[in-house]
Amino acid sequence: MKSVLGDRRAIFALLGPALLVYSLIVMVPIFWSLGYTFFTGSIVSGFTPNGFDNFVEFFTDPTAWSALAFTVKYAVVLTVGQVVIGYAFALMYHFYLKRASAIIRTLVFFPVVLPTVAVALLFQQFFQSAPTTGPVNGFLNSLGLSSVDWFGHADSAFWVIVAVDIWRSMGFYAVLLYAGIVDIPDDIVESSRIDGASGWKLLRHIILPLSLPVLLSSVIFSINGTLKVFDSVLALTNGGPGSGTTPLTLYMYQTSFTYGDYGYGSTIALMLTILCLLVTVFIFRAQRRDLTKA
Amino acid sequence: MIPVATPNLTAPHPSASHPSAPPITQARRRRNSRTLKGVLLSVPMKILIAVILIIEIYPLVWMLISSFKTQAEFLGKSFWSFPADPQFSNYVNAFTVGDMGHYILNSAIVVFPSLALIILFGTAAGFALEVMVFKGRGFILMLFLAGILIPGQMILLPLFTIYFQTGLTGSLWPLIITYTATGMPLTVFFMATYFRSIPKEIFEASTLDGANIFRTFWSVGFPMVRNAVFTVALVQFFFLWNDLLIALTFTNSQSLQTIQVGLLNFTGNYGQVSYGPLFAAICVSVFGTLVIYLFLNQRVMKGLTAGSVKG
Amino acid sequence: MITTAKGRLGRIVPAVAIIGTGALLLAGCASGSAASGSATGSAKFDYLGADTNTEISTVLTLMSKDQCSSENTAQPLSVGTTPGTGVDQKLQLLAGQNALPAISTASGTPSLMTQFVEAKKIVNITEALGDESSNLLPAAQSIITKLCGGSDSYVLPTEFNIEGIWYNKKIFADNGITVPETWDALVAASQKLEAAGVQPITADGKDGWPITRLIGNYIFRDQGADALQAVKDGSAKLTDAAYVKAADAVAALGQGGAFGPSVGSIDYNGMENAFLTGGAAMMYNGSWTLANFNDPAQNTIGLDNIAYMPFPAVTGGKGSIDDTPANIGIPVMLGQSSYGTNTQAWIKCIAANYGDLALANGGVVSGFKVTNVPTDLPALTQVVQAKVAATTTATLWFEALFSPKQTTVSQNNAALLATGSLTGEQFMQMVQDAGQ
Repeated sequence: MKSVLGDRRAIFALLGPALLVYSLIVMVPIFWSLGYTFFTGSIVSGFTPNGFDNFVEFFTDPTAWSALAFTVKYAVVLTVGQVVIGYAFALMYHFYLKRASAIIRTLVFFPVVLPTVAVALLFQQFFQSAPTTGPVNGFLNSLGLSSVDWFGHADSAFWVIVAVDIWRSMGFYAVLLYAGIVDIPDDIVESSRIDGASGWKLLRHIILPLSLPVLLSSVIFSINGTLKVFDSVLALTNGGPGSGTTPLTLYMYQTSFTYGDYGYGSTIALMLTILCLLVTVFIFRAQRRDLTKA
Repeated sequence: MIPVATPNLTAPHPSASHPSAPPITQARRRRNSRTLKGVLLSVPMKILIAVILIIEIYPLVWMLISSFKTQAEFLGKSFWSFPADPQFSNYVNAFTVGDMGHYILNSAIVVFPSLALIILFGTAAGFALEVMVFKGRGFILMLFLAGILIPGQMILLPLFTIYFQTGLTGSLWPLIITYTATGMPLTVFFMATYFRSIPKEIFEASTLDGANIFRTFWSVGFPMVRNAVFTVALVQFFFLWNDLLIALTFTNSQSLQTIQVGLLNFTGNYGQVSYGPLFAAICVSVFGTLVIYLFLNQRVMKGLTAGSVKG
Repeated sequence: MITTAKGRLGRIVPAVAIIGTGALLLAGCASGSAASGSATGSAKFDYLGADTNTEISTVLTLMSKDQCSSENTAQPLSVGTTPGTGVDQKLQLLAGQNALPAISTASGTPSLMTQFVEAKKIVNITEALGDESSNLLPAAQSIITKLCGGSDSYVLPTEFNIEGIWYNKKIFADNGITVPETWDALVAASQKLEAAGVQPITADGKDGWPITRLIGNYIFRDQGADALQAVKDGSAKLTDAAYVKAADAVAALGQGGAFGPSVGSIDYNGMENAFLTGGAAMMYNGSWTLANFNDPAQNTIGLDNIAYMPFPAVTGGKGSIDDTPANIGIPVMLGQSSYGTNTQAWIKCIAANYGDLALANGGVVSGFKVTNVPTDLPALTQVVQAKVAATTTATLWFEALFSPKQTTVSQNNAALLATGSLTGEQFMQMVQDAGQ
């Protein structure tokens, strides 16, 4: 029996195609690009080695630091927002809507379907202050407040990007987390209800711990996605005003393909990868410690 | 009573780790859901749900309305305004000047084969990594997981060189191959998770009955994760369908462009945008995918509510 | 037995990956050597255009059927397009593989063009044309050489635009404003218009350039036509008081409210629309905007109601109001790896015929000599055509000699300057820093 599940030809046949295409198309290019971190130059004019200069530049480049700060701020706010709101939806689906939730789930999931270009155009109109007044400013005006130039300041533009991305992704996280909550057997929930647990207590002591694994997967998935935010920023603000909403990915893309310094661009990408790795490992370890305490 | 959750990243089979629950009578359960409190709670909930639905649905309506506006109406009139004279010509323009039909076809040619390969390879790898027994599988799983950490912009230049040197440039193969590869980490990760939640005894029993491993995978394993497959397929479909970066880099002629790249064609040299035809093109793209989404979605939701993932 | 097999697989995979990486890395670095083409050039005359510009492919196609039919037989024209958004990235990737097409859209980033020239990736047009270089307008040639350095041309000027301020005659007349000839007069006019409740200037703050153009032109009028060359050469800095003064002047204009509310949210369409529906009195733009003016669906104020004025002089400045800011739009370049005698014949044919065809076909003023001016041209197009023909000293724009990073920083921060979030000094400091 064990030899069948350990048959190496079978393992090779099942795992081989995925591993091969993944290694050739993802891993090889990554190591290849990492090689460029020790070079300066561009695709056109050729590369010359420059040792650790790119790394030194990264740590002394104020634009890189502000891009890093934006990236981290965005990732933290968005991960919390996505997962908390998604979880709230998932709870609502399961405990209030129950069987009727199918249609709501479908509709809330809908924004995930929209192309980024369409989403950006929509929200630029939505938050517009000139030449015509968009609905958000229209609402502010009706309260007697003056219009806000949402895209004119880095702070307000940041919150617009956050709002748009949460709007886009909450349906996705709701479904993902719902799948985890559905898996909790009904008899456990019912029995603890009989034991007198209800509302917040039920959530805190029963539902939350039991859906923790899928919650954690969601957090890891979310933080790794948000640390690499690209499309929505590019389409909504193009990193502006100034470089106020430029994340590391956009700065890396600009450096590599607009500023013509592929080596430094790869260095920025490497730093971002390390950041993702550190955060992921940190979450894993924090979770372990939490569990041993409990 | 605090249940002990397993320190797994993935969803365990929860009943195994939980103390046995006392039996519940049907009467009690019914009474519980019909209390006065329950009814009162449902009123604000209904309002909340209505608000949520408006927020989610209105953009679709707005895009549809915008697709019938003239350029002047789009720029000069308010957000809420309706087109005075619906411009059906926007749709004609989207297909004639914008050549959307061609782009939609290209997208379909690229996305569906990639999706099939992602599911086939990813599920097989997930099965091998969780069900099969061999050394180094933890490492390989981590290798796949590492793909989630890496920014996609990083692989563009090497891939461009590879495709160029191998003569694949000028066809749709670079897109299919790249999509398949970049879809691997998430798919392998999710499939491994789902296979982990299925008791291993099921596969062991199957092999004891004389089925070989491929048969066990195909007729026992695959059907058990069918709903997970639909979930992953749905998520990947939208990643691929809405991809711009990869499509922009590897399509070198208009005849190869996909729908997202095609949408850029409505922007001119100095930043001019033809809004009407652009929204018409977006609507065609969105409503097409919506049908696919509704189809796949029903399978996913049906599976989830039936709880068949639990094995 | 099984255990050892598994162990081997675990070791083999990373090893293969590393070996593969090394081999490919070498291949990637070796791509600098030039591929040698045949003497006649590539089999086809491939054109890769940005899909944002349909004019060039139209004119080339017309030529291939008429004036250049024999060239087309030897090396048939084949037209392809790429999205305007990714042009720079695509050209770099292609050049890295020595695979630039026979003829393609040039990059809009001058420093990238300089890289192409230095790496010998594109054809020296002056050499290819020889005596027939006279088919290029002197003003166009002077812009090209200013941009790419040296004395030879490396692009074909398929467009030639002059820039300046377009104004609404009726609004000017209603408010008793005469055409301002100095910057101070422009500021005064702007204040007067605003007091009357009219937005003085509309600007595309989202793209930034209509604002930074004002800074550049102010510098040229104030410090002379070579002022930004001095910055490039290192003999002056943008943070010098003489340059900061220009940014401060534009910031002051903006803080007075000249650009209207939320200038950072206005895109190109918004700018055109505001001007062409009478929402603003003035707009800084290039002559390519004539296509919008000539479209009655967009232009509700009427063609007769629009006039051109040169950028005003700065009192006591070294520059002249007769220096005309000009550019050649996005020109076309020719890939060296596809070049040969057949391609050379094509270039000569294009140089001889493009000027007339572009003007007659789409009313586009190019940097090629025009022998027959069509009589039925719209009035404003005639004005521009005459102005182009008469231009001897053309000035560039603010970012023309900047690095791509400086260009991005400048254009992305323009709206912040115009709304007063940045001072002139802060703005210039940022742009200067981006150049290091």
